[in-house]
Formats: sequence, structure tokens, C-alpha cells
Amino acid sequence: MNSYVPILFMLGLGFAFAALSVFTSLVVGPKRYNRAKLEAYECGIQPTPHAAGGGRVPIKYYLTAMLFIIFDIESIFLYPFAVAFNKLGLFALVEMVLFILTVFIAYAYVWRRGGLEWD
Amino acid sequence: MSFVTAYGVAAALPMENPTADFSDTPWWVALIKAVGVFVYLLISTLLVIWFERRVIGRMQQRPGPNRNGPFGLLQTLADGMKSMLKEDITPANAEKFIYTLAPLIAATMAFVSFAIIPLGGTVSMFGHETPLQVTDVPIAVLLVLAVASVGVYGIILAGWSSGSTYPLLGGLRSTAQVISYEIAMGLSLVAIFLYSGSMSTSAIVSAQSSLWYILPAFFSFAVYVITMVGETNRLPFDLAEGEGELTGGFHTEYSSMRFAMFFLGEYVNMFTVSALATTLFLGGPQAPPLISAINDNMFGGGWWGLLWFTLKLWVFMFIFVWLRGSLPRVRYDQFMRFGWKFLIPITLAWVVAVAFIRGAQLGFLGDSKLTFAGRELSVATVVIVSIVAVIALAAAWIWDDKRAAKAAAEDEAPPEEIDPFEGGYPVPPLPGQRLAEPGPRISATREPVLSTASTTSATSTFAKEEDHG
Amino acid sequence: MTSTAEAVGFWVLAPIAVIAALGLLFAKKAVHAALGMALVMCILGIFYIMQKADFLGVIQVFVYTGAVMMLFLFVLMLVGVDSSDSVVETIKGQRWASFLLVIGLAGVLFFAIGAAVIDETTVQSGMDKLVATNKETGNVTGLAELIFGQYVWIFEVTSALLITAALGAMVLAHRERLSPRITQAEWAAKRVRDNKNVAGLPAPGVYARHNAVDTPALLPDGTPSDLSVSRVLVARDQVATTDALRDVERHMAREIEEGGSK
Repeated sequence: MNSYVPILFMLGLGFAFAALSVFTSLVVGPKRYNRAKLEAYECGIQPTPHAAGGGRVPIKYYLTAMLFIIFDIESIFLYPFAVAFNKLGLFALVEMVLFILTVFIAYAYVWRRGGLEWD
Repeated sequence: MSFVTAYGVAAALPMENPTADFSDTPWWVALIKAVGVFVYLLISTLLVIWFERRVIGRMQQRPGPNRNGPFGLLQTLADGMKSMLKEDITPANAEKFIYTLAPLIAATMAFVSFAIIPLGGTVSMFGHETPLQVTDVPIAVLLVLAVASVGVYGIILAGWSSGSTYPLLGGLRSTAQVISYEIAMGLSLVAIFLYSGSMSTSAIVSAQSSLWYILPAFFSFAVYVITMVGETNRLPFDLAEGEGELTGGFHTEYSSMRFAMFFLGEYVNMFTVSALATTLFLGGPQAPPLISAINDNMFGGGWWGLLWFTLKLWVFMFIFVWLRGSLPRVRYDQFMRFGWKFLIPITLAWVVAVAFIRGAQLGFLGDSKLTFAGRELSVATVVIVSIVAVIALAAAWIWDDKRAAKAAAEDEAPPEEIDPFEGGYPVPPLPGQRLAEPGPRISATREPVLSTASTTSATSTFAKEEDHG
Repeated sequence: MTSTAEAVGFWVLAPIAVIAALGLLFAKKAVHAALGMALVMCILGIFYIMQKADFLGVIQVFVYTGAVMMLFLFVLMLVGVDSSDSVVETIKGQRWASFLLVIGLAGVLFFAIGAAVIDETTVQSGMDKLVATNKETGNVTGLAELIFGQYVWIFEVTSALLITAALGAMVLAHRERLSPRITQAEWAAKRVRDNKNVAGLPAPGVYARHNAVDTPALLPDGTPSDLSVSRVLVARDQVATTDALRDVERHMAREIEEGGSK
């Protein structure tokens, strides 16, 4: 048996449980219509018809996601390096340090330009 | 339990493939184990919510839930049942399909990662010798990270599909927070892989048989513990649901069981990250050092592992609760600054340092040895460790100096005498300060007097003049 | 050649992947399209794992589903849901140029795939080699040996790609701060210096019937205080009137008076 199949078991169990619970509450729970209930939540004042900014996201998050990808890819290269380090030797260590330093240039640039500030 | 023999060249080169043997595990035994782990998680969640409320209660000098069942143990079950019997509201603005999908993703993904966590040693189950672990794969730890990154979809989709302001902002914050801390978490794990030479959980656990990785990778452990709190959106990092700003964050609009699924997901995620910490840093299901010495490790392995694993897991759960009971929530910009400007660069530096230390141990940087106190040490290891230590000390020193200078700059001794009406507004005296005799200013004319105590700044004079003008 | 389990997995997942990919093309809402693509990425990851490329499969899920699709979602949410329907050409001739490029890409893909050797013995021997490597050296170690051996130059160049990505993101998304950021403490100092509303703005009205930020507080003479409601609410025209509340107040005052005289 493939060793990944039990992971699918867990996935299936989790999904079945979640779907069943949500479904049960839909069946068992009361349904009393009230217009106010269906409005967006607001602390007393009239709720706005749409979410803030028409449901749009500040552009700031784009930068965060992009930086996330960059470091994600860096760590992806670090994993095989770390696992195989005992077989790779000094050459790989030097190469890896070079790689980390180069990516660090990007990081330093973003820091200097204020891309990591959050206010 | 010498450091050098455990991690030095003498040790056989580790294999990256799992050491746990699943060859005698038919699919139905795996399914039974999966169901077992699932039930274990559900019961643990029920318990931990009760535990959290009781412990927080103790910390705040109140009893906590104590009515339903013995010691209030059934409180969570009652809450769950009650939430099932509540109305499930879908707001008119919501994107119906995604609104339902989001809690399902959040809850489902939380359970998946536990499949690769080793809960105990090899046991006999229905006539089959099988490890107490649902499964293990060569990239098990990465799988946890991958599943976590899919789980984030639950949060962002919930926030977006609610069609309401608070959930949108909360969902975004939460997502940005989780992905930011996932980097530092991922980087902190690299040190473990460097030592163990494997990403399979069973191989990592067996590589820790002589020394738990919490010692050689102590810094990774610290970073991991911080990031695991950030990953699970728990206090002091629960900014996504800062009640004062965002009501409930991404799940503001959710009710009934769909809300409960997020709640369940959060707690199961807490167990998952804690279980991973146990596996990677605390030797997983291995017996603690002193107990493992008793009678040739008679309390280790097999079903005993489940006990040790659960105990270690609950230590982390207690830490989660303890943090919640004692720390205030941080501000969002502080949180992001800490993650991006401190944790990530310092973890990268640590990874490079560990790579050099490990390279020295493996003899990549020269083979010369020296004998110290009866032990053979490689010169390269000593040199690298000293360099790292010196750099760390220097960094700490500079940082401390800067902080001391800053504190000194701020910590001017307050003047002994204070004029409470100096700036035009009444100011109470600090402890030990004497009140100045009320000058002529208090009288009807209230002329600005420029030559009062030394603290009279240009601004306060300005304010006074404006007050009169 | 293919085991039954693998065949079953393929025939179950492949149609889902195709449907999700079609969803990417034809979904009305941009976020649905992005979700379809995320599903395709996940299934691709599972396919890789089924093909015994464990590391590649999990990285596919980790990087593409986790990071890249998250970026897509952010971008879609950034531009708003409706703008995907826009069919106005911003650059002239863009459509024809993209059409030509698509034809070119399709041609390249066609010949590349056509030139690939896919006879059974070659594929089988490649598969056998992979399985042997997975067993003896390990999947990840084998990959690492390739990265730090044959492909080390490409690996180093990747870092340049990452720098470019950071640069591009900064150019596109970063708003340079022209003046230093004013901290909370500085605002407080400024308030005292200006000597205006030193104790903060007045709080909004709190009444027995209505308690919200959109209700202005009443000044001693009964007029509503504009300072007590947020500018945003004024701009949105969402400020509640206090007339009704004043009436209630008057009514209550009268009742109290009547009660006193009885």
C-alpha cells in the first residue's frame, strides 16, 4: 500500500466530520427569517452595503505575498540542501551561502526602501 | 550522551527515508489508526478547551466552568451541542458557495497533518506489528507546512466571502500574519534537517535517541515556539480577532456549526504545531532522559510512547494557555516588524551558523583533531562554534548597549519640584516630587511666567500664550 | 506499466483537474477562477507524488497552492471582482499580439511534446531508475545532488530571479513615504501643543434607546455636536438624527415633571 494513502484517510475523515456537522446543524437548527439578521455585522450603526473599499484589498498585501513567495522559494532550496548536507560537502555549503547572500540583497533592498514598514 | 559522538563524523550517515516499518500494516489497520488519531484529536480538543478555561480561570482567580459533569469536563461538549442547535445564518451579502466551503477547508486541513506524527513505538495491533503512527513519508515535515498553507485558504476565503468589512480586514490580516510567520517557521526547521539528515518524522525521532534536538537546535526551538503561536492566531498574536478593532475577525459573520468548524480548526492546529514541536525538538514519543534510564528503558517504546507524547504535547498546550493568561495583544505593525525584521534574518543567520557547525562536525572544513578533557574534538568545530559564539555575543552586546543608551536618554530624573499648572493644564506630581508654591499665575491675571522650573519647554509656553490669546 | 491504484487515481483526479481548469477559463467570478486553478495545482501535486516524485509533489502544493495562488487571490481582491469583465483594450493591437503569441506557444508545446520519446520501455526504465534512487539515496538527497551538481549554475541564477521579483514588487506596489510617520505619542503632543480638544473629541451620544457611534452627542443647549461623530460617517451620510431622541428626552422630562407634581 502506498504510504500516502493513510493521509487521504485523514483528509476524508476530517472532511466527512466537518461536512456532517455543518449539514446536521442546517437540518436541526431553527430557521427564523429576520431581515436584520441577514445584514452585514455592524456595531449599532447602519451597515455599509458592501465591505470596505468595495471588498477590495489594500495593495500593501501584494507586497507581503510577493516577499512570502521569495522566501518560500529560498527555504525550498534550503530543505534538500539540509537533508543531503552530509553527502554534499563543502562545495554545496559555499554555494548555499552565496545563494543566501544574493537573496539577502533583495531583502536588504526591500528593507531600505521601507517595504517592510507597516502602518 | 556525548554531543560529539551523537552528531560527529563517527555516527553513521543518516538515511532520509522513514525508519518506521509499515510493511506489516494492511490498509484496514491504517484506517483504524487514522480513526484512532481522529478520535484522539477530537477528545483532546474537547479537553483542551475545558483545560484552557479552567487554567485561565485559576490565573484570574475565578473557578472557570465547573457545572457540567465532574469538574465541568462536559462543558465543551454541551457548548458544541448547543452551537449545533443554533440557527446557521448566511448573510445576504455573502458569496454562498465559498462561504460554506471556507469552514470546511479550515476544519479538514487541520486534521490532515496529524497523519505523519509518531504517537508511540511499534505495537501489536490485531496480530500485525505496526508503528503507532498513521503513516510516514520521506517529506513528512514539509507536508505539514504544505497542508498549513492550504489551510490558510479557509481564513482568506471566509473573510472575503462574508461580504462585510470586519471579516474582510480580519481575514487579510490573519492571512498576512500566517504567511509571514510561516517563513520563519520553515527556516527554523532547516537546522533540524541539517542534524537529522531527513524530513521524515520517524527518522527524526530515531535520530534523537541519544540527544533531543532542543539542545543543539535551541535557537530553532525558540523561533519555532514563537512562530507556532503566530501561525495559530493565538494570543498575544491573535490580531485577526482583536475585538476592539475587528469584532471577531474573519469569522464575524459565521454562526452555529460553521463557526464551530473554525473554532475546532484553531484548536486542532494548536495540537498539530505542538505535536510537530514535540516530534522535532523533544524526541517525540521517547521517554524523558531519567525515566529512559530505568531498567534498560522499560518505560519506553510501544504504548508507553503514547503517554510520553501526550504529556509533552500538553506541556505546549499549557504554554499556549499560559501565554494567553499573561500577555496582552501586540500591535499589528509591531507584530509584522518582529516577524519580518527580526525573526527572518536572525533565523537565516542561525541556519548558516548551524550549516557551518555541522560541516565542521562532518569534517568538511578540515580533519585536524585536538583532545580536550579526554574527548576528541575537531579543530574546525571548535573554531566555528567560537566564531558563532563571538558574533552572537557581540550582537547581543551592541543591542544591549543601544538599549541601555536609549533607556538612559529617556530616564531623566524628574525635577524635584513641579508646578502643576505650568502647561496650563493640571498635572499630578510624580512620587517624590514636591508641589511648587502656587505662583501669581494662579491668580486672576494668569500671566505667563517664562522663568519657572527647568522643565518649561517652548511648547508649553506656546500653549499658554495661545490660551490667553 | 501503470499499477491499478495509480490508474484509478489518475482517472478519478484527471477529470476533476480538467473541470477545474475549465472553471478557470469560464468562471464568471475571478475568485472562483482562482480557486479552480488552486485545485488544479493541488491535483498536479498529487500526480507528482503518484509518479514517485515526493518532494516535487509536496513543493507543488506548498509553493503553487500556498504562495503563488495566495498572491493571485490578493491581486484579484485588489482589483475588485467586477473588473475582470472589462474587455476594453488598453494597449492597441494587444489582442492580436496575444493571439499570435498563443499560437506560437501552442506550436512550441506541440513540437516539444511530439519530439519527446514516450515509448513504453524508455518511460519504464526512467521510472525504475527513479524508484531505485528513492530507495537507495532517497528522493530529496537525489534531488539535492542534482541541484548542487549538474544544475548548480541554474540554482545560483534563481537568486537573481528572486531579486528581480522583489524589485518588481517594490516598483509596482510600494508607496514611498515622503514624510516621516507620525506616531501616537507625537499626535498626543501635537494635540496639547495646538491646545484644541486636548482631552480628545467628545464621545458620541449614548441614549437608552440607541447607543452607537453614528449618533451625535447633544450639547448642553440640545444641539448635536458635530465633533462627536466620525468624519467618515458624515461623508457617507450615515449620521443618525437626534430629533427623535430629543423628543423622547422631552417626553421623559415631562413625565418626570408630572410625576413630581403628583
